[in-house]
Amino acid sequence: MKGRKYPLYFAFPALAVFLLFFITPTVIGFYYSFTDWNINADTISFNGLDNYRALFQEPRLLTAFKNTLIFAAAVTVFQNVLGLGLALILNEALKAKNFLRMIFFMPYVISPIVIGYIFRAIYHPSNGIINHVLNSVGLGFMAQDWLNNPKFALFSIIMTDLWRVTGFSMVVYLAGLQFISKDLIESSSIDGAHYWQRFRFIVFPLLAASLTVNVLLAMINSMKIFEMVMVLTDGGPGYTTEVFFTYIRNMFSTGQFGYATAVNLMLFVLVTLIGVPVLMGLKKREMEY
Amino acid sequence: MQTQRRGRLIVLEVVAFALAILILIPFFMILINSFKDIRESALFGLGLPSVWKFSNYKDVFEQANILRGFKNSVMISASVVVCVNLFASMAAFVIQRRDDKFMRDTFYMFIVGLIVPVSIVPTIKLMSDLHIKGTYFSLVMYYTAVLLPFAIFMLVGFMKSIPRELDEAALLEGSSYFRLYFQMILPLLMTVLVTVTIVVLVSVWNDFFGPFYLMTDSTKWTLVLQVFNFVTLYSTNWGVVFAFMVMVVAPVLIIYLFLQRFIIDGLTAGSLKG
Repeated sequence: MKGRKYPLYFAFPALAVFLLFFITPTVIGFYYSFTDWNINADTISFNGLDNYRALFQEPRLLTAFKNTLIFAAAVTVFQNVLGLGLALILNEALKAKNFLRMIFFMPYVISPIVIGYIFRAIYHPSNGIINHVLNSVGLGFMAQDWLNNPKFALFSIIMTDLWRVTGFSMVVYLAGLQFISKDLIESSSIDGAHYWQRFRFIVFPLLAASLTVNVLLAMINSMKIFEMVMVLTDGGPGYTTEVFFTYIRNMFSTGQFGYATAVNLMLFVLVTLIGVPVLMGLKKREMEY
Repeated sequence: MQTQRRGRLIVLEVVAFALAILILIPFFMILINSFKDIRESALFGLGLPSVWKFSNYKDVFEQANILRGFKNSVMISASVVVCVNLFASMAAFVIQRRDDKFMRDTFYMFIVGLIVPVSIVPTIKLMSDLHIKGTYFSLVMYYTAVLLPFAIFMLVGFMKSIPRELDEAALLEGSSYFRLYFQMILPLLMTVLVTVTIVVLVSVWNDFFGPFYLMTDSTKWTLVLQVFNFVTLYSTNWGVVFAFMVMVVAPVLIIYLFLQRFIIDGLTAGSLKG
């Protein structure tokens, strides 16, 4: 049985497409990030570390870097806290459980760009629903120009993404809760363990696999955020909500291709540096429980 | 004790429904405003329209070539579904069964593709060097490359549960590897292939990033790219813009309402396998 040689060529179509259309651009990207490749030049020539030198002196990159990290951290934390909270509520034998599950998951199947446009209307300073509601309940002083106030713009984008993705985390946690036997939860409640303790010491550790998936996916996907930011603020006001992919898009549309590639490479490094250790760490934690 | 528990359940139920309304309001907002005239729709209110302007939908059909966009979206999504399912299942079959050093390295390479972001500007350059820039083919290949890692990851996990004895029996009877794959393995992978299909459809149908960078010719735009362009041109008339968005979102939501169990399980099962 061991002697069987399954033919290698079965893997060739997948390997060919992946190597040509994913790995190749990534690898040639390394090269282009060291060139002056731009829309005006007829030839592409090597310019050493010029792009990187410019990059690290550019405050816009620092802003994009900071915003991407803030966005990713906030979305990861709150997507998980809210998703877990919702899952625990829905797990309490609610009659409408399936209906509610369907509603909460709904935004996840919609195009993020459409969601961006919908929320642009919702955040509208004079006509948007949010300010209307705030005004009508006497909290008018809290009304803002949500997307044009530098203090609130990033916050508003984070809230929009949470609206979109919380249902996904909820469903993953719900699936995890399904594996925990009812006996385990009930017997500990007879022992007099209070809800919080029961959650802390019994339920939460058993949700380790769901937590791994949710944290990892949330972090990776939120660092790659693009169209929602582009539609909501396009990195503005000023550059206060600039993230990596809006910055890349801007550099691309002004024809600075080599530079845009260097920025893309920075994101590559960032995602790898954060994604891989987190994956390892969470996997290890999961083993220990 | 019993009444206390019931009371707590009612409170939780109320909280859950209140939050569900927060999810539904934005959907209701575009639906109701898509029937309002230019002035009323710009107020983004939740009230009923004073005059129902069904002609907004007609305007969309006249001003945007929505059927063409729809056709492009369907065609591209379907092609990617076929390519990803076929290539990934073939690869997963031998990756799991051979389990030698080369195959393990191949597998890790795909896993890395699961995490790292696409290098988009060099991808455009590559497409033009290959003389396929702006073609349907280039977009289908781009999506296939991006979605293969996920599909292979899932399928390799599932292949482990298919006993090798099955292969052995078929091969002893003189079956070729192709017959073994098509007649035995592929049918057994069906449940996972449904999951892969759902993930691919949702990702490709809703994606903006790919066609935004790779498709310059407006006759090849997908629905999502058409929406983007339409808003830029007609954002003075929100009623019509919302009508367009309703038409883009509606097919997805209708399918979702009917197949919600499969879709939710499909989109999340993939992640839990890890």
